[in-house]
Amino acid sequence: MNKEPAGKVLRVTNQIEELARVEVFLEELAEDWELPSSLVLSLNLVLEEALTNTILYGFNDDSSHTIDISFTKTGNELSISIADDGLAFDPTLQSDPDVTLSIEDRPVGGLGIYMIKKVMDQVQYQRIEDKNYLNLTKKIE
Amino acid sequence: MNVQISSLADYTIISVDGRIDTMNAGEFEAKIVTVIESGATKIILDCSGLNYISSSGLRIFLLVLKKMKANNGQFSLCSLQPGIREIFDIAGFSSIFSIYGDQETALKG
Repeated sequence: MNKEPAGKVLRVTNQIEELARVEVFLEELAEDWELPSSLVLSLNLVLEEALTNTILYGFNDDSSHTIDISFTKTGNELSISIADDGLAFDPTLQSDPDVTLSIEDRPVGGLGIYMIKKVMDQVQYQRIEDKNYLNLTKKIE
Repeated sequence: MNVQISSLADYTIISVDGRIDTMNAGEFEAKIVTVIESGATKIILDCSGLNYISSSGLRIFLLVLKKMKANNGQFSLCSLQPGIREIFDIAGFSSIFSIYGDQETALKG
């Protein structure tokens, strides 16, 4: 396996329709980097959850914003960094939902961030110069 | 996403193909709610063709389950692909939904 880091960047705007581009981009990335299809499904889920939060709740103006998603593969580790200039929001501080509650008591929603934390091996947040950076890593198995 | 609705004995079988995500979850919800409002009391959701679901889709599954339970109805799932089953496990949905290996087993309840 090539140990040199490989990198790709996808830039999207804060429109929910951009999720369709993420899906296509991931399919191409999977082919280029020979990623297993189960990982592609997981990455698609994680990116959808993160981007949906940012796009729907991250901006309090009507302007167009860009969100940069950088992918790096080093050996068998995949890193993803999502950078946006939206409102400061640290998803790692969100408390996890109780997924053992009964049907009646289970709240509808609130699973998105939890799914990101469960699917990825590492989730880190940084706020640097008015930008949110969500850094995610996952071992390629 | 494609949704097909059929009847078998007193069951309504809803087959969903493709993806349920943030962009089409509302459309999916509308289709299922139409089935419930038409008076269906026993629903099997066949997920054999479902290859992607995000929390927006899971939200609808839970809403439907709550609605059916409140009506004393039945709502079962069958034929989940392994990747979807994994997402259900993570979300803690596998313990609250009745999930069957195939449609035949689901019909036997």
